[in-house]
Amino acid sequence: MSAATAPVEGRSIPGTIGNFLRDNPIYVAIVGLVVVTSIVEPRFLTPSNFNNIILSAGVLIFAALGMTFVIMAGFLDLSIGGIISLVAVVTVTMIDQVGQGPAILIGLTVGLICGLINSGLILSSGALTQAESLFITFGMSLVYGAVALMYVQGATQFLTYSETDISIFNAINSGKIGPISVFTAMAIVATVILLIIERRTYMGRAVVLTGGNKTAARLAGVPISRTIVMIYAISGLLSAVGAVVLVSRVTLADPTMGTPYMTQAILAVVIGGTALTGGRGSVLWTVIGVFLLVLLNNCLNLLGVSSYVQFMVWGVILIIVIWLDTVKQARVRG
Amino acid sequence: MSANTGIAGSANSRVAGTATRLAGLQRAFIAIVVVVLVMAVANLFPETSNNFFSEANFINVLTSASIFLILAMGETVVLIAGGVDLSIGGMMALSGVVTILLLNAGVPIPIAIVIALILGLAVGSINAFISVYQRAEPFIITIGMGIVLTGAGQQLTNARPVSSQVPGFADLANLKILGSVPVLGSVPVLGSVPVLVFVMLAVLATIYFVLRNTSFGRNVYAIGGDPEVAKYSGINVRRTKAATYLICGLLAALGGVMLASQLNSASSIAGEDTALYVVCAVVVGGTSVAGGVGGAIKSTIGLLLLGLLTNGFNMLKIDSYVSYLSTLFLGLVIVSILWLDSYGRKRRRETV
Repeated sequence: MSAATAPVEGRSIPGTIGNFLRDNPIYVAIVGLVVVTSIVEPRFLTPSNFNNIILSAGVLIFAALGMTFVIMAGFLDLSIGGIISLVAVVTVTMIDQVGQGPAILIGLTVGLICGLINSGLILSSGALTQAESLFITFGMSLVYGAVALMYVQGATQFLTYSETDISIFNAINSGKIGPISVFTAMAIVATVILLIIERRTYMGRAVVLTGGNKTAARLAGVPISRTIVMIYAISGLLSAVGAVVLVSRVTLADPTMGTPYMTQAILAVVIGGTALTGGRGSVLWTVIGVFLLVLLNNCLNLLGVSSYVQFMVWGVILIIVIWLDTVKQARVRG
Repeated sequence: MSANTGIAGSANSRVAGTATRLAGLQRAFIAIVVVVLVMAVANLFPETSNNFFSEANFINVLTSASIFLILAMGETVVLIAGGVDLSIGGMMALSGVVTILLLNAGVPIPIAIVIALILGLAVGSINAFISVYQRAEPFIITIGMGIVLTGAGQQLTNARPVSSQVPGFADLANLKILGSVPVLGSVPVLGSVPVLVFVMLAVLATIYFVLRNTSFGRNVYAIGGDPEVAKYSGINVRRTKAATYLICGLLAALGGVMLASQLNSASSIAGEDTALYVVCAVVVGGTSVAGGVGGAIKSTIGLLLLGLLTNGFNMLKIDSYVSYLSTLFLGLVIVSILWLDSYGRKRRRETV
């Protein structure tokens, strides 16, 4: 890992519990909330509630996993909301025309192409800052969202109206492989693949190095262009997987259904501890972040907190995490 | 443009800077001319003829751009100083909600407005504290702030629109002030221009003047250009940058008050996407997200372009899902102009 991040690792990994508390106050706060909820609210510790928690993590985890590499490389992808909507409507409308398997493949291809378009725009314009990638992908999210709306003329598409077999979607929604559900298995597979890319491949190192310092990375011969293509392609593809899972879950496709996932994915990545400035982070942290975010929402729901206040809590967490991270970085650099 | 920057020397770089600035101005301006020409051609054919060039539509475009313009002026100042504020949408929505709720609770109109504006300053100072004094990345901090403000607005109103029960509040934005003036009122367009447009023009003129003719304005450009150099030149970088966030918060709150008055109601979700739209419009106009370059007039042109684009598409009524088409084109225009912006910077990096 680059020199700038070494002191952080050195301090936090073998560090004491005190250090951990200081460095990860959001982890601690959410775990505290979970403990409090499980004491005051008996419904929390029921199997059906745990099922709920895993269900609500289902879609978010794919979107957040895809976003992780993008953020680790120091970029952002605001287009995943548009991609999820587009893939969802394309997949559902294709089922009756080409059958369910090919429809899913077409959906995943659409997601991949969207990701490649994003990376093409960013590469060709030479955008190197997070801000530039943020605005370009915001524009593209409008484009993907508008294409989705035009494609189905604004109408919701119902999966259950399909005249052909939709057994794959049913399996994703409720099937089981041994003790674990199908989409949990999918999420585990996705996490493991990404983790191997992150820890064991050259491209994984390239992502971290690009995020650490783009100029230094380029001078050191890191293939930044290939990295950018890879991170956006992964983000597009995983958003598409998320869209397929979402469609299976709610059994319909709406041309605006992807919108909320953009904020939530960024939030989950950031809560997990991946630095928004790039160069530091892990797919595993994102998995933790997703579960913390879902647990947080679940606890607040059970405690009867209104959804608007939950929304505010998200914003406050986002601010606090970034702020604390900045303070920590400043302390490390001295 | 890139050839000029290759030659060393301050005089040449100033020439190059002017060229870049002109190029930035031209892009959006040319696009506006194209939109107007397309509409003019469309009006030649009976199937596509429309009211684009009517007085009513002119007023309509001007009025609907006004709120965004008020917000864009604050955003321009922040962007030039090298920051960004994405909480303006939430601020606008919340300030409208707060104003209406206060009015309905019996607070006099001026006091309600002052409270809303103070709220804007307060939010601006929180943004400034975290992103300037604590040096956190302003993008996500202000996105987070926007979420908090939207959530607060939803909590206050239960996410339902609230309408004002105070007569006269709507006049604040909608009164056709010159309509009753003897001479001016009879001039075709002037007579039907609402107050909102004049408020917008006042804000525009103020920001234009402040950026060009005051030391504060010059400092803002200097900080955006290079904060280190600005610091060594004796500029109080932090205080100046913090002031830009305060201005932005204040103007976002003002925009919210005017929007509430224009519609005589307020909705907590009114600010969805507003911040990104406004920032994109400002950047489309030629203000750089990297800081140091930009201006009030440029932002105005950028906003008018996006406004005219949407308006033109709606006027053409090409097919039943025309509103999606206009969103599509909006996205494409934003992407292509931002692409050009980044590309220009890349070329300059490579030539230097």
